[in-house]
Amino acid sequence: MAEAWKGPLQKVDDWRWLIPRSYKKGMLTDGMIYASEKMISAIRKDQAPEQVANVACLPGIVGRSLAMPDIHWGYGFPIGGVAATQEKGGVISPGGVGFDINCGVRVIKTNLTEEEVRPHLEKLLSLLFTNIPSGVGSKGKLSFSIPELEKVLEKGARYIISRGFGFKEDEENIEERGAMEGADPETVSSKARERGKGQLGSLGSGNHFLELEVVERVFRPDLAEVFGLFPGQVIIMVHTGSRGLGHQVCTDYLEEMQKAMNRYDIKVPDRQLACAPCDSPEGRRYFSAMACSANFAWANRQLITHWVREIFEQVFQKSAASLGMFTLYDVAHNIAKWEEHEVEGQKMKLCVHRKGATRAFSAGSPALPPRYREVGQPVLIPGDMGTGSYILVGTELAMQETFGSTCHGAGRVMSRSEADRRSRGRNIANELKERGVLVQAESKATLREEIPEAYKDVGEVVEVVERAGISKKVVYARPLGVIKG
Amino acid sequence: MNKFEILDHTADVGLVAWGETKEEVFANAALGMFSLICNVEEVNGGFATQVEVEGSDYEDLLVTWLNELLYLFEAEEVLLKEFNIQELGQYYLKAQVEGEPLDTQKHHVQRVVKACTYYEVKVEEIRPQLWRAQVYFDI
Repeated sequence: MAEAWKGPLQKVDDWRWLIPRSYKKGMLTDGMIYASEKMISAIRKDQAPEQVANVACLPGIVGRSLAMPDIHWGYGFPIGGVAATQEKGGVISPGGVGFDINCGVRVIKTNLTEEEVRPHLEKLLSLLFTNIPSGVGSKGKLSFSIPELEKVLEKGARYIISRGFGFKEDEENIEERGAMEGADPETVSSKARERGKGQLGSLGSGNHFLELEVVERVFRPDLAEVFGLFPGQVIIMVHTGSRGLGHQVCTDYLEEMQKAMNRYDIKVPDRQLACAPCDSPEGRRYFSAMACSANFAWANRQLITHWVREIFEQVFQKSAASLGMFTLYDVAHNIAKWEEHEVEGQKMKLCVHRKGATRAFSAGSPALPPRYREVGQPVLIPGDMGTGSYILVGTELAMQETFGSTCHGAGRVMSRSEADRRSRGRNIANELKERGVLVQAESKATLREEIPEAYKDVGEVVEVVERAGISKKVVYARPLGVIKG
Repeated sequence: MNKFEILDHTADVGLVAWGETKEEVFANAALGMFSLICNVEEVNGGFATQVEVEGSDYEDLLVTWLNELLYLFEAEEVLLKEFNIQELGQYYLKAQVEGEPLDTQKHHVQRVVKACTYYEVKVEEIRPQLWRAQVYFDI
């Protein structure tokens, strides 16, 4: 098992723990972990806090090296890590985004209730399972030509919508309106295109899923109303990313940055933190390729949304619009973005890395569509398979403390091999069925590695961000059925 | 001597490979990686290709080599099981790799390995005729 971490964690308050800059040579700032006392003992069990300290060594880091309560041991950055770097003298690190670029979540609403959906649940799941490709190396149903793929890389979900796979209003309910600026397809290698081209419109494997859920608890009715959510309502959550294209882009640029570090005389404590100055040719090229991958991921979730709508139309014999199947929002939780934040009274343009962390902008942010501008951004937090999900809203305190960021999910606490050992001989699909959750999965191995007890309780994670004030709970949704890769 | 063993990691999976020579340790690391992806016993022949990669040291070469094989797996849709390292210097590796085109009716692909990371990567000769390599994969 992993070695426990023995470094200093100073309790700031019940929800904040500081790793002082003095802990380790090379740290340029403090580390800050958002967690409860109970979580801290689990967090200390592996090297995740060391990774928070390592990120604090990145040249040009502004503010603290942050970790959300779903923090767990990653490679380079911890999962749940947030770090902002400055435009001049700061670096951009592919390891601060990860391999699954723009892994993220979309929620599609319906005006259907659990009672209306229950009788059709098995049919819906089996149609979703057969029509939305999932599993290792899964392929999309449509094939895209090379010029079409270029458009996807440049224009993301906007291009897919313009091709008729979506509602016009989907666009404004996606971060960056579904297409990041500065995405030049030239910076994406032919290898990345090869790996990704057949995978557009597929769920993939691992922790990715598509889930039908029912809104069970409403914490803030006024906000739920603005989001168009009500108790008993069925919603659909899609969790996937940029598939093989993003994996290859990260691989390509990590390799390039190993070399760039020598050129710019940058030293980091972990090779997986390889980086280049934001304003260097290598840094700019990576940003562009990452933006292309992010756009691919938004296009991917858009296509899946389209097929989900088609299946509901088929089952309920009504149009998707009359079933109220509008996009609530679509968030990225593995990404780096240029954003303006106020730091010590000064407005600064920063490169905010979110590696397993979700943007959570507060009311008033110009990045939000008009319908959410007065309340703040919907923040979509998937739980583990079968546990349910939360929808939160961004706060002003998050803008001040975390560059407008919050948690992204439950966070693993158990290695895959341990989960495999503990689930041996068990029928996981049946266990979930007994809890009222139907599962269709491509791989039994995935199902066993993803057992609920392998994850932190998403409820505890969300409690911490609420108590710390960096987001507020709006609703909790219980799962009805899950499609796994 | 085991060819390889799996290391526990909370979110991902680590691998330690052993070999009498550096060539053998590189080949065993590749075999270990494919054993995470599929049951290599089910993989026969029918596909062969040459792989060449460059790197700044053995660690960089190991990561680049494994990532190149992952690329072949996904882009060419092949499962690999034979790794014949023909040349291995500090900055260059050349190998003949063999396996079988993926047939989902026959092969059980168990999990996605998204990439091989540089996190805690090590390649070392721990004593004469015993090489050890360590890597972590993003799963």
